Amino acid sequence: MNSLRTLLKKREMTSFFFLILLFAVVGCINPAFLAVSNIAACFNSSVVFVIISVGMAFTIMVGEIDVSVGSCLGMTAVVVGSMICNGASWAVAFAVGILIGIIVGCINGFGVAIMKAPSLIFTLGVNGILRGLMFIYTNGADVNNIPKSFKDISAKALPGIKITYYFIAALILTIIIHLLLTKTRKGRYVKAVGDNADGAKLVGIDPVKTKFLSYIICAVMASIAGILFCSRIGIVTTSSGNGYEMTAVAACVLGGISLTGGVGSVIGSAIGAVIMSSISYLLVFMGFSSNYNDAITGSILIVIVVVDSVMQIRSRLKLRHERLQARTRDDMVTEGENA
Amino acid sequence: MENNNKPGADNLLQVCDIYKSFGDNAVLKGMTLSLKAGEVLSLIGGNGAGKSTLMKIIMGIYTHDSGKVYVDGKEMTAGKTTEALSSGVYMVPQEPLLFPNMSVEENILIGFTRPQAELHKELVDTMKSIGWNLELNRKANTLSIAEQQLVELLRGLLRHAKILILDEPTSALTFKEVESLFKVIKDLKAQGIGIIYITHRLDEVFEISTDVGIMRDGRITLMGKIEEFTKAALVKGLLPDTTDQQEVVSKTDVDYTKAPVLELQNFSGYGFKDISLKVYPGEILGVAGVVGAGRTEMAQTIFGMDKVLGGKVYLDGQDITGLSTQKVMKAGLNYVSEDRHADGIFKISSVAYNITSGILGESFMGKVFLDTKKEKELTQQYIDDFRIKVTGQDQELGSLSGGNQQKVVIGHALATGPKLIILDEPTRGIDAGARTDVYNIIKGLSKKGLAVLLISSDMEEIIELSDRAVTIHQGRLNCEFARSEINQENLTSASFGVVGKEKE
Repeated sequence: MNSLRTLLKKREMTSFFFLILLFAVVGCINPAFLAVSNIAACFNSSVVFVIISVGMAFTIMVGEIDVSVGSCLGMTAVVVGSMICNGASWAVAFAVGILIGIIVGCINGFGVAIMKAPSLIFTLGVNGILRGLMFIYTNGADVNNIPKSFKDISAKALPGIKITYYFIAALILTIIIHLLLTKTRKGRYVKAVGDNADGAKLVGIDPVKTKFLSYIICAVMASIAGILFCSRIGIVTTSSGNGYEMTAVAACVLGGISLTGGVGSVIGSAIGAVIMSSISYLLVFMGFSSNYNDAITGSILIVIVVVDSVMQIRSRLKLRHERLQARTRDDMVTEGENA
Repeated sequence: MENNNKPGADNLLQVCDIYKSFGDNAVLKGMTLSLKAGEVLSLIGGNGAGKSTLMKIIMGIYTHDSGKVYVDGKEMTAGKTTEALSSGVYMVPQEPLLFPNMSVEENILIGFTRPQAELHKELVDTMKSIGWNLELNRKANTLSIAEQQLVELLRGLLRHAKILILDEPTSALTFKEVESLFKVIKDLKAQGIGIIYITHRLDEVFEISTDVGIMRDGRITLMGKIEEFTKAALVKGLLPDTTDQQEVVSKTDVDYTKAPVLELQNFSGYGFKDISLKVYPGEILGVAGVVGAGRTEMAQTIFGMDKVLGGKVYLDGQDITGLSTQKVMKAGLNYVSEDRHADGIFKISSVAYNITSGILGESFMGKVFLDTKKEKELTQQYIDDFRIKVTGQDQELGSLSGGNQQKVVIGHALATGPKLIILDEPTRGIDAGARTDVYNIIKGLSKKGLAVLLISSDMEEIIELSDRAVTIHQGRLNCEFARSEINQENLTSASFGVVGKEKE
């Protein structure tokens, strides 16, 4: 029926089945993996990635990209962590963290949406600046005496299945964002802008505003992830969050979001994030060193992007050929066009 | 400018004294027009007359430098698309701007503030009342151009547009689709919607408009009720004052005893089938047909851009069937695409770079370093021969007018020294003056013994230039005409498949 919906469903379902397949394969190789605690650990460790990937999904869906999320996460983690260490109230620290996200989002949005700079390069520059600011702020020192009370929240889990409240919260947040994106008028604008920015303008959608907001959402999500990072890991170094942008992009792509914009869903990117963060766990159970982690993440990213691009070109060509063939069919009576 | 009247109560749209420049280039110089309910105002004018710019200003996509736009007596803020939309102005652009990854319904209903369920019902009702049948769940990237335009029109109708702007809506439509579009326009007119209709086709002007305006050089030079005009008067109004009309040469001096340069034998591919034809040295073979008949697809397949499904192509006796584009070019065939912007030009390169871009691999252009002297000579030769208006060889191609760009593209194709050149819609979208120049270039080529395969949807072009003509209808060659038989009636009826085998 609705070819778009079915396609989207298919894209998300494919990544979901891939996740299950991955678990099954590793389970066959090493049955010890299939314990509840291990499976739960895969989900629990994905919290930070799920949040940044959902944010990243916004910028990719509008047809851009944000590679500054890793440093935005790091910057927030360093500031929030040190504030809490120095006895600031959590609420104030969190507010400052979110404010960092908003500022970073505004800078990216200004450069990309308003000044029309190429997003990859602009956000790469912002990434560098933020990483540099982290060094200046900390003088290169780690933030390591984060209060136990803050760290402990991350361990609180549902009894029995051992899924942390953090993961459940991330899941709920993803679902809410998904509903906002698909069920509200403004939400639909996000994908519309990525699909055809000029067309969006003509029906009264402001592509600049939509892109700007997408960048703010993306950076704020990265900041939320930074706060969770603080609590979960309990130590923030100057390299915290380094390289997370690649994981987030890979998660989005793996979850069925097209890098050309306009296609995909945040549910998909969340599933992709779980897969990406599980890989380091799975490697251990398959007897590999986790040193392979980045190389594997990169390979997955490349393979999916290439396959996706080839498939898109193929289907476009096939469609064109079908349309042309229809014109020269032998049995063609004056064609049954519209009225 | 003279009737710079206040927005009258009965004027749906009033445009007063609009000026707009892009940098030094003044595009609109005191543009004034008005539109009443139920009027269809046809705007005609050469390229660069400022029609599209004006429409974009009315839509609030561009901001004008001075002047005022009133819709329903209310002054519009310059550059606010949302205000234009909410005041009931809707433009169907020449190239429909749909969201390819969305369904038809999503495409139509996006951007509204009303509840979706109510909109859905209205959409279904609207389609029923005008007798259109479009599957709402289809993905937009599977639609034909005509269907995409219907989607755009529905968008406008659902917005309860009072003013519809149609920018060359028929340029990509088949004959039947044009008919059904006109039916819709007449319905809308009866409903009191004001329509601005931009076109290059004079026949259409007389068929559907109530008023006509000729735009030249950034202002309206002639305007009035359609009854006051004849086709000849419109043509006269369009032509720049200096253009000298040339008479059609009726004799052909092609030597048909020579071996053909190009021969197609039962050639088939995507979009065309079983085509056999021959082109002789020094001959211009016109290929007529409606848009979408499969002519471009045939040309592109010969040129190695798509898969051959059957048959043979011989160039000077050499089998070039299914060769790559590079090899076909080397063998002595070149193709000038109908879509200059997509496949024809290097927009931000200089004129000289464009002309020599196809022959950089040739040894006479220098072995390691390019022979820039040679490049200059060659470029100057084309600039002089073709009367290309440039400030210098180093002028950026994108800054030339459409007609001059087209001349450069033809020069670029000729620089490869082909035995046969395929020209696909060589004068589409260029003004009358440049058109005459391009015609002279084409005639000059055939005099030099070059064979030309001329694909054109402009019957007058085929009549003026061709030594022989064929028509293609629904992917098949259905008629061939000798010089003496080439006339509007024969070509048109064959293009629409009326003669040949009984189709209707």
